Amino acid sequence: MSGDCYRCGVSRNLRPGRPRLGAALLCGLAGLTCTANIPSLRGEAQIERSVVRIVNHSQKADWYSPWTSAPTQTNVGSGFVIDGGLIMTNAHVVSDARMLLLYLYGDPTPHEARVASIAHDCDLALLEPVEAGLLEGIPALKFGALPRLGSLVETYGYPTAGRQLSATRGVVSRIEVNRYSHSGLDTYLTVQTDAAINPGNSGGPVIRNGRVVGVAFQSVSKLENVGFFIPTEIIQHFLGDLADGRYDGFPEIGLLWSKLENPAARRAAGLEATASGVRVDLVFPGSSADGHLREKDVLIEVNGHDIANDGSVAVADLRLAFTAIVDQLQSGETVSLGVVREGRRLDLEFPIESLAAFDCYRAPYGELPRYYVYAGLVFTPLCSGVVAALGDTVQTQISYEYSSRAFAEPERLNSTVVLLRRLDHPVNIHMTWSGQAVLERVNDRPIRSLTDLVEAVESNREEFHVFEFAYFGRFEVMRREDADRAHSEILEQFGVVEDRRF
Amino acid sequence: MRIGSLSLLLAASVLGPTVAQSAHDAQVVSLRVTHQSFDEHRPWTKGTPSTRIGSAVVLDRSQLMTKAKLIRDAILIQVQKNGSAARVPARVVHVDADIDLALLEVEEPGFFDDLEAVRFAKSAPGEGIVYSARWQNQQYEISKSQIAGINVRESPHGSITHALLSLNTDLSGGGWAEPVFSDGRLVGLSVLQEGQLATVIPVEILSAYVRGARSADDPGFASFRPYWQFGQDPALAAYLGLKGKPRGVVLRWIPWGSTGCDALEPWDLILSVEGLALDAMGNYEHPRYGQLAFQHILVDGHRPGDLVRFQVLRDGEILDLDIELRRNPGADWLIPDRRDQPPPPYLVAGGLVLRELDGNYLRAWGNPWRKKAPANLVQRYDRERESQTAERRRILLLSKLLPDPYNLGYHPLANLALAEINGRSVDSIADADEAFRHAVGGFHRLKFYRDDLHGEVVLDAAGFEESTARILENYDIPARIRLRPPGRERVTVECDPQAPEYR
Repeated sequence: MSGDCYRCGVSRNLRPGRPRLGAALLCGLAGLTCTANIPSLRGEAQIERSVVRIVNHSQKADWYSPWTSAPTQTNVGSGFVIDGGLIMTNAHVVSDARMLLLYLYGDPTPHEARVASIAHDCDLALLEPVEAGLLEGIPALKFGALPRLGSLVETYGYPTAGRQLSATRGVVSRIEVNRYSHSGLDTYLTVQTDAAINPGNSGGPVIRNGRVVGVAFQSVSKLENVGFFIPTEIIQHFLGDLADGRYDGFPEIGLLWSKLENPAARRAAGLEATASGVRVDLVFPGSSADGHLREKDVLIEVNGHDIANDGSVAVADLRLAFTAIVDQLQSGETVSLGVVREGRRLDLEFPIESLAAFDCYRAPYGELPRYYVYAGLVFTPLCSGVVAALGDTVQTQISYEYSSRAFAEPERLNSTVVLLRRLDHPVNIHMTWSGQAVLERVNDRPIRSLTDLVEAVESNREEFHVFEFAYFGRFEVMRREDADRAHSEILEQFGVVEDRRF
Repeated sequence: MRIGSLSLLLAASVLGPTVAQSAHDAQVVSLRVTHQSFDEHRPWTKGTPSTRIGSAVVLDRSQLMTKAKLIRDAILIQVQKNGSAARVPARVVHVDADIDLALLEVEEPGFFDDLEAVRFAKSAPGEGIVYSARWQNQQYEISKSQIAGINVRESPHGSITHALLSLNTDLSGGGWAEPVFSDGRLVGLSVLQEGQLATVIPVEILSAYVRGARSADDPGFASFRPYWQFGQDPALAAYLGLKGKPRGVVLRWIPWGSTGCDALEPWDLILSVEGLALDAMGNYEHPRYGQLAFQHILVDGHRPGDLVRFQVLRDGEILDLDIELRRNPGADWLIPDRRDQPPPPYLVAGGLVLRELDGNYLRAWGNPWRKKAPANLVQRYDRERESQTAERRRILLLSKLLPDPYNLGYHPLANLALAEINGRSVDSIADADEAFRHAVGGFHRLKFYRDDLHGEVVLDAAGFEESTARILENYDIPARIRLRPPGRERVTVECDPQAPEYR
């Protein structure tokens, strides 16, 4: 599925009463079932009363001009009332919110809301109305279990092409671990359904027997009648994580691994003929597995589940990626692994945590870019927001550094600084490189963070600053006193209020 | 009267009374080239034959000169002359893919009797009107062309950087070796045309090519492929110790095998070449063409083996360095843009298809290949194409895998750069074939470059040969292996590799 284009089910920039033609087509109007009466799957619950329409007036950071913000936009999504006077929705529905408005069922009055908790890795969020008691009298929906393959489910929400509640019905067509497009990095359990999930459906409940079995969240642009929802296993993990009032995120073991489907590969890895498992190819430094697992170890068991040669485990009547077992743990809990190392079985237990070094590779939300502007040179860490901002103009060296080299040389994870662009001024206009250059050294100091860079620049007492870049010996020089003199002038000319944000 | 005369008269009426180009029609012939390239994805087989139409000019000694790309992968070359329908076969006697020129001969007795050799101009004009000519559909065409400029850049289909004329021409669909005349003499050969803008190799290069190709030692053209940047920044110039206004260009890296790789150093500021001062953009004053980039100096009147004087500023000191010009064919790059021999070397081993990474393979993904070819290969091409060393001359790929029970579990593998097989580094298909003869502990182990982010492939040595035979039969592959065809010796140089740091 990695080549498919996942699309979050949130509608963007839609003005009430003026659905855009493009958005309408995207929804597939012919297949949209607008009905408030599908009794068989709702049980006794009045689901529709619990489903809200969310309007998010949002503003993202501008990663190309990191000291400023992008224009505001308006997104529409769905949510539903749960216990505790909260509304559950997708993180992508409420990301980068400047103002959130709720519309209750049958009520045209907008009500202001705020984000109580948000988890970008699993694309879930909780909202609370600003107005106390707003949700009193509205039934809180209860959660059910993972539905079986082939079972009927209903989705409720406020997709585009109308302002009234929409309900659609479909079957559970697949249950497996998939990529969550909101973060672009994480893979967790998903449930696929042919119930229509369109822009605006995001955050709405998926119901079976009157209980919530998932949160609608994404579709695949290449496929028709394929939508995905976040199952209750992930929802419960999210809620459980928040029990201490803080969201820690899903823990990671922190390794790259290979399947061992070839018999020779298994023998070479030291497995007996009847055994199965996957081979560890790389352990990320600083990860939970660092110091516990080694390259060439074979993982054969996770928390009591045998790992097959393709990396799957049996869970009830399903086969899921073994990472789905790890995903059941909370940060700080202990994972139990059966390992074959040099032909001998080992049983390892160690606590697992989320790996902060991966944060840079998730799509950024609700955060402002880190940057440092010096004498018109704009430096920033090479993170997903930068790559996204460069879009089609990204140069292969930048995409290589971001997507390949950092993982091949994991000490470079989250530690690459780039010259993003240049704010032209006589002090820098003669430089050959005006952007998209990977910074390696400044004034003979290796640069692995913005802090390194600032220290290298500000502690320099030599006549010149020397900036050295990766690939074929690129370098640039500035006369320190000239650069210092020009610095403030450039900030003022280009409207850069602060020259740094860490 | 020849059939082509009608066209000529029409053209002449457009061109005005001063034009009398009819003498050229006996100096130009048309070529019809039937060519067939290999299927780069299945390198044991050939693709669909096709045809190219182009031109050649008549030289003395009964030879023709054309562009090398026109005859690439040629199966049959046929020549037509003087508007005749008769086609006569020709054969290739010399090719220089780096400068994109070739010599042909026609063995048919008397073929050259009614043709005449072009007269080479001493130099190409830097401005004004010239005339592009060709035979097409048995009619002779002459088109008026305006010289738009002369620029130094890499040959569009070669690897040598030199001066090229740009023409605004009325000719349509050119760029296939149409000769360009001025005052009755050959001044250039068109090698590329985009819209109405033609790129033309100037006569100085054509003359040098013919002289070299006919000489006993065939020196070719010098390769000077520095990675450099402008020296225009006053701060940079001062940092390097230059007094006065910025001038010269700053070297950053010279690929192994290129001229100067053992004498010039990173952060050298090149001030002059052969006494010609360089400005801060790397230009010098050419006596006829005005400002030209400095790489042209090494091609203009110089050949490999010549000593050329570079004046550089290094560590604040001005040095005069006499540097021997070197030939380093583009086919010898780590990732060559073009092979110098058509058949792609390959090896089918246990269903793994191994081949060299080269431009032919990248282009086989279709246009625009930079977007269509696998990203890891495009990135590697951009980073490493000239990163060859004495020990590292090629990158081998596991290009695809032919599914078989033997290689179960690896079927999706494709386009991974091989670092080693059975603990041996592999630099050629011959190396790979040899490495498979040395299984380790009963296994064949293949490791890839770490940045391709794929773990080791392990196969059973016991079933290797049997499975290979079965796969060859199942997939209708005529031969297990094709080695690099015997040909010219690879360039060897005494040159400390200046591997680009941080690469």
